[in-house]
Amino acid sequence: MSGLLAAARSNARHVARVWQFTMKIFMISDFFILTAVVQPIIFASIAYFLFEIGGDAAGEQTLLYAALGTGMMGVWSTTLFGGGGAIAWQRWEGTLELLVSAPRRYDLTLLGQTLATATFGFWSMIATLAWGVLLFGMPLNANYPLLLPVALLAAIIGLGVMGMLLGTTFVLYRHANALSNLLEYPVWIATGMVVPLALLPVWLGPVSWVLVPTWGMAAIRGAAIGTEPPWLAIAMNLVLAVAYYLIARRVLVHVIDKARRDATLSLA
Amino acid sequence: MSTTRPGPATDGPAIEAENLVRTYRTHLGVMRRRSLDVEAVRGVSFEVRPGELFGLLGPNGAGKTTTIKMLITLLLPTSGTARVMGYDVVRDTAQVRRRIGYVFGGERGLYDRISGLDNLRFFAELYGVEPDAQGPRIAALLDLVGLTGREGEKVEGYSRGMRQRLHIARGLLHDPPILFLDEPSLGLDPVGARELRRTIADLVAAGKTVLLTTHYMFEADALCDRIAVINGGRIVASGTGSDLKAAVANRTIVEIETYGVTDEAVDRLRADPDVIAVNTEDQDQSQVLLVQSERGTEITQRLIQHLGDTRIGKIAAREPTLEDAYVHLIATTGDADGSAARAAAVAE
Repeated sequence: MSGLLAAARSNARHVARVWQFTMKIFMISDFFILTAVVQPIIFASIAYFLFEIGGDAAGEQTLLYAALGTGMMGVWSTTLFGGGGAIAWQRWEGTLELLVSAPRRYDLTLLGQTLATATFGFWSMIATLAWGVLLFGMPLNANYPLLLPVALLAAIIGLGVMGMLLGTTFVLYRHANALSNLLEYPVWIATGMVVPLALLPVWLGPVSWVLVPTWGMAAIRGAAIGTEPPWLAIAMNLVLAVAYYLIARRVLVHVIDKARRDATLSLA
Repeated sequence: MSTTRPGPATDGPAIEAENLVRTYRTHLGVMRRRSLDVEAVRGVSFEVRPGELFGLLGPNGAGKTTTIKMLITLLLPTSGTARVMGYDVVRDTAQVRRRIGYVFGGERGLYDRISGLDNLRFFAELYGVEPDAQGPRIAALLDLVGLTGREGEKVEGYSRGMRQRLHIARGLLHDPPILFLDEPSLGLDPVGARELRRTIADLVAAGKTVLLTTHYMFEADALCDRIAVINGGRIVASGTGSDLKAAVANRTIVEIETYGVTDEAVDRLRADPDVIAVNTEDQDQSQVLLVQSERGTEITQRLIQHLGDTRIGKIAAREPTLEDAYVHLIATTGDADGSAARAAAVAE
C-alpha cells in the first residue's frame, strides 16, 4: 500500500514538474502568447460590438456571459493547437525520441504538457475579462466567488486531458493540422461558448455532453453568473477527464507501438 | 500468470545483438503507388562486454543508427533479438531504459530557448532522478562536460560543441551503466571533437560501457577497445584496431597529391599489376590518391609515369592506418549484391 502511495506521489510530482517546465516554455513562445492573449481580445471586441448592435449590451450579466464565452474560445484554440499538436511538435523538435525512451512513463509526461497548455490557455480568459473591464466598463463579480477557482481548476483538468486525447489521436494522421483547423469553430458552437446550448438543435445535445469544454464553460459561467452552484458541471469535467485519460492512454500505447514499428518517432 | 524475465546480467555481456534485421517500408509514386522494402540492417550480431568501449564503424547509410535505435528500444527489430544487461529490448523496455543513456550528434533534441540548466533539470525529472539528488548530480555533470559557469545561458547561444556536451550530460543524468553515443562528434570542430573524445575516455575510465557509432576512423582507433565495421547492413569485420589493421599490414600506402587528375589516369594506376587498390580523396584544390601495394614493392616511379601530364604535388609512402583498413574493407565488402537488392519494390 505504501508502495502504491509512493508511486502515486512520484507520478503526481512528475506531472507537476513537467507542467511547470512546459509553462516556462510557453511563457517565452511568441506563437502561444499570440494565440492565448491577442486572439481572444479580437474575439471579445467582436462579441461586445455584436451584443451592442443587438441592443443587449445593457445587461451586465450578458456582457460577462459573452466575455467568458469568448475567453473560453481562446482557451479551446490553445488546447486544440497546443495539445493536439504536442506529439507532432516534439517529433519536429527532435525531443520525442528522448521523451519516449526516458524511464518515466510517457503518458504522464504528455499529460503534464497538455495540462500546461490548457492552463496557459486560461490567459485568454484573463485577457478577455481585462479587455472587457478596461474598454467596455464591464463589472467583475461572481455569484459564487469561492466556487470560481474550483470551476477553473476543473475546466483546466478537463481541457488538459482533452488536449492529450487530441494529441494522441492526431498523431495517427498525417494531416492532423487540417483536422485541428476543422475542429476549432464547431466546438465553439457545440459547447455553448458562442451561443447558449438551448438555442442549438436537440440532436446536438448528446454531442455537447461528451465534449468536456461544454462542462468547463458551464462550470465557469455557473460560478460567475449562475443561480445555482455548478457542482454538476464541475463533476462532469472530472468524470470526462478520467474517461478521456483512459482512452488517451490506450491510444498512446498503440501510437508508440506503431511508431516503433514504422520508425516514425523521429524525422531524422 | 507471471512470466519469468531474465534478470540483470552481472557477468554476461552488457549488450548482445543476435541476427538483428530491420526493414523499412517506404512509398514511391503518386498515381501508381508502390511500396519499397528497404533492408537497413541485415543480420547484425555482436556482443559488448561490461566496461568496454565498442565502436560501430561504417559509412553513411550502413545501418549504424538503425542498429542503435533497436538496442535503445526506439525501433522494433523485424527479426532477431537483442538484450541490454540481460533485458530484452522488445519486451523489457522499462528495464532497458532505466539502464541506458542515449546521445546523438547534431543540433536537435534540446530546448533551445531555455537555459542548459533548465534542460538538465527537466531531463533529470524524466529520467527519474530523485529530487534531492538532482542538484548535486547536475553540478557534477556540468563539471564533467566542462559547462560549469555557462549553464545559465540559453541553449540557442551554445556552440555545437557545447550542445553536444550538454547532450552527454543529459544522457548521464540517471547514471546509466551503458551509454549509446550515435555519431556524437558530428559537425564538431577539431577542438570540440578532441574535448569530446577526452570526455568519452573519462567515462570509460569511470566504468561505463559505451557503444559508439562513428564514421571517423581515427576516432574509433583512438577510443575503442574493439570495433565492428558495418557496411550495407552487415558486419563485415570486427576486432581490435590492430586486428583490423592486420588486413592491410603487408601493404604500403603511397599518398600522391595531384591537381586535376583525370579518371583515365586513375584507371591506369589501377591497371598496374602491383597496385592493389586506389582511393581518391577530394580536397579543396587538390586530389589525394591513396595507392595500396604489396610491402617492399617499389612502384613510385611507375605511378608517376601512369599519371602522365597530371600536375603532382607531394608524394609520400607510409605504413597503413586503420583508415586504410577501413577503406579496404568497405571497398572489398561493399554491398556486393548492390543497394537494389536491399530495396525490393512491391507494386500495390
